[in-house]
Amino acid sequence: MANKTGSHVLVDRDHLMKPITQTSGGYFLLVFLLFLGVAWGAFAWIWQLSNGMQVTGLNNTVAWGVYITNFVFFIGISHAGTLISAILRVSGAEWRRPITRAAEAITVFALVLGGSQVLFDIGRPDRAMNVFLYGPLQSPLLWDLICISVYLLSSLFYLLLPLIPDMAIMRDHHAVTGWRKELYRILAFNWDHNPEQKRRLEKAIAILAVAIIPIAISVHTVVSWIFGMTIRPMWHSTILGPYFVVGAIFSGIAAIIIAMAILRKVYGFEDYLKPLHFDYLGLLLLTMTALWFYFTLAEYITTGYGGLLEELEVFESKMTGAYAEMFWAMVIFMIIAFFILSFARSKWPVGATVSASVFIVIGMWIERYTIVVPTLNVLEGRGYHPAIYWPSWVEIGITFGSFCGFALLYVLFAKLFPIISIWEVEEAEEALEERLEHMKTYLPTGTTATAER
Amino acid sequence: MDEGRRSALKKICFTAAGVAGGIPLLGTVRAASRTIAAQHAAAPQTKQLAMVVDMANMTDEIAHACIEICHREHNVPKSDDIEREIKWVWQEEFDRAFPDQFHGQMAEAYEGMPVLLMCNHCDSPACVKVCPTAATWKRKSDGLVMMDMHRCIGCRYCVVACPYGTRSFNWKDAEQSVETTYPARSRGVVEKCNFCAERLRVGEIPLCVTVSQGTLTFGDLSDPDSEVSELLRAKHTITRKNALGTGPNVYYIVEDKLRERPRHGE
Repeated sequence: MANKTGSHVLVDRDHLMKPITQTSGGYFLLVFLLFLGVAWGAFAWIWQLSNGMQVTGLNNTVAWGVYITNFVFFIGISHAGTLISAILRVSGAEWRRPITRAAEAITVFALVLGGSQVLFDIGRPDRAMNVFLYGPLQSPLLWDLICISVYLLSSLFYLLLPLIPDMAIMRDHHAVTGWRKELYRILAFNWDHNPEQKRRLEKAIAILAVAIIPIAISVHTVVSWIFGMTIRPMWHSTILGPYFVVGAIFSGIAAIIIAMAILRKVYGFEDYLKPLHFDYLGLLLLTMTALWFYFTLAEYITTGYGGLLEELEVFESKMTGAYAEMFWAMVIFMIIAFFILSFARSKWPVGATVSASVFIVIGMWIERYTIVVPTLNVLEGRGYHPAIYWPSWVEIGITFGSFCGFALLYVLFAKLFPIISIWEVEEAEEALEERLEHMKTYLPTGTTATAER
Repeated sequence: MDEGRRSALKKICFTAAGVAGGIPLLGTVRAASRTIAAQHAAAPQTKQLAMVVDMANMTDEIAHACIEICHREHNVPKSDDIEREIKWVWQEEFDRAFPDQFHGQMAEAYEGMPVLLMCNHCDSPACVKVCPTAATWKRKSDGLVMMDMHRCIGCRYCVVACPYGTRSFNWKDAEQSVETTYPARSRGVVEKCNFCAERLRVGEIPLCVTVSQGTLTFGDLSDPDSEVSELLRAKHTITRKNALGTGPNVYYIVEDKLRERPRHGE
């Protein structure tokens, strides 16, 4: 299968399995540290459960804070994976092959952590079942419950389906023994690499990839509608749905870039996650940065120009008031990211996209915060001037624990499953040849012209 | 792939898309049942209990008496933490209670003038729309916005959705007061004014009305001969944030204000 330049796609399976087959001391240390972080978060949650919501910084005016911010943020990050991977699959972007798995795993774990934030936020988690028992369809929270459940299930399938051939490879690998071999055997679903199996699998993946795009968009739209459907100033905005979707894809791409850079460094995957991948994803990120600025400008300029009394109170608190530092920090972070991506990306693809991604992920968390909190921190007529909300150690602890939990799940996943899809990279060359054949059907090849002559 | 499975897959995809798009749509249709015509209708078709607050004759003493008896009888705990205090009825200055009906050129008397506030028992309550467990609902028999504290999961969506700040969350456990039999609430649930539903059931009027010395009038809006209906026809009244379209059922008489109340600072 030699191509024109004479070189082949060469996959070193043992290298790709190294994270699974070998465990360094550093890995144990990392897992231990992350576990400590999760334990700290768990302690904070137990503290909150036993003492009640009074241990948070929330009050009757600002009744939603960091937990809801985290909820929106994690659900946004979840768009990293499945949506990016699905869009790249559907559009036939061949360079996606080594990054789809790493992206899809982010989706599942971000959804788990995002969903948990709601449990942290409610005053009576013991009654959470009431939503299933009595939930009326008119509540946007029900829409979220339904859409997020559908998304979680479909993205779980979307993670597991392309895992099947890799599970078979792992099952048959000599270094794998014991319960892991059994796990791989179950997850391989009797895969024996025959063409009919592969045809069906690829068909299923293709259908799921198409289906998952509208599902992902629905999820972040209904998340925004939690706010958009109320009549609170600057929440009640028609732009919120698309604004949240853009923000979600934006922060999602940044998250996957950071994850890729870490995997590349830690496991020595430089051969698989190349500067070109960062360059392409960086270009996508740059596009999203521009889109995000467009939406932000559209939202704020309309509000500020119109100047409705209630909205102005929130608008001013973000522009010049109590939330100005956060708002402008967000804007500055995004400007920095924009310039890094514009001017440093082609020269230092990895360094530039990763540093821009860090600014973007932090900036997007602040964005969620400055959407959730300032709208609440206004004079509602409760008989006092509300103080500025600031999270307590419990909220910070649970947030920290959640981020550690997210990283821990990811690290454990990479320990059990190939984080770079082995079979998808291996078959790239074959796929390219098929593609070339296909291209010949719509590009001039000389044969038809000769025949006509 | 055989046709049966293909069509099954298609069905799954369409179901998913239908769920994602259709449910919000259904919910919206249900929530957006209120129309401009309904808002402008002279009287509601079904029973709607309402309160008229006569600000001209309301004094601080009367207001305090209303708050005191309500909070005592409903076992509302006292708290020093002003931002976490539970309130069923409270006072707020005019310009903050009616931000859209105050302007800088208004007579000084209005600025800082205390107004008695409570749940508006809206026609189209923002809190009811968003509640994920139907723990708060609009009672059809008399239009009250009810609250089931045993079903509430404490998500506080109603607290953030209500534009009037009428809802309070129980940040900690309340102790049973010896002065009343009204049960204390466990922490983690939301509560608010219920127009004394427990007294209405036995044919009595809300507690605040009993100590208001005539400044609070309570009754049924759908009955044109009720005291509230007559009062609303006779006087100029305002409601809080009327433009939001929630249709508040607590009305405020303002017209006699300047004649009755001494100027600010006198």
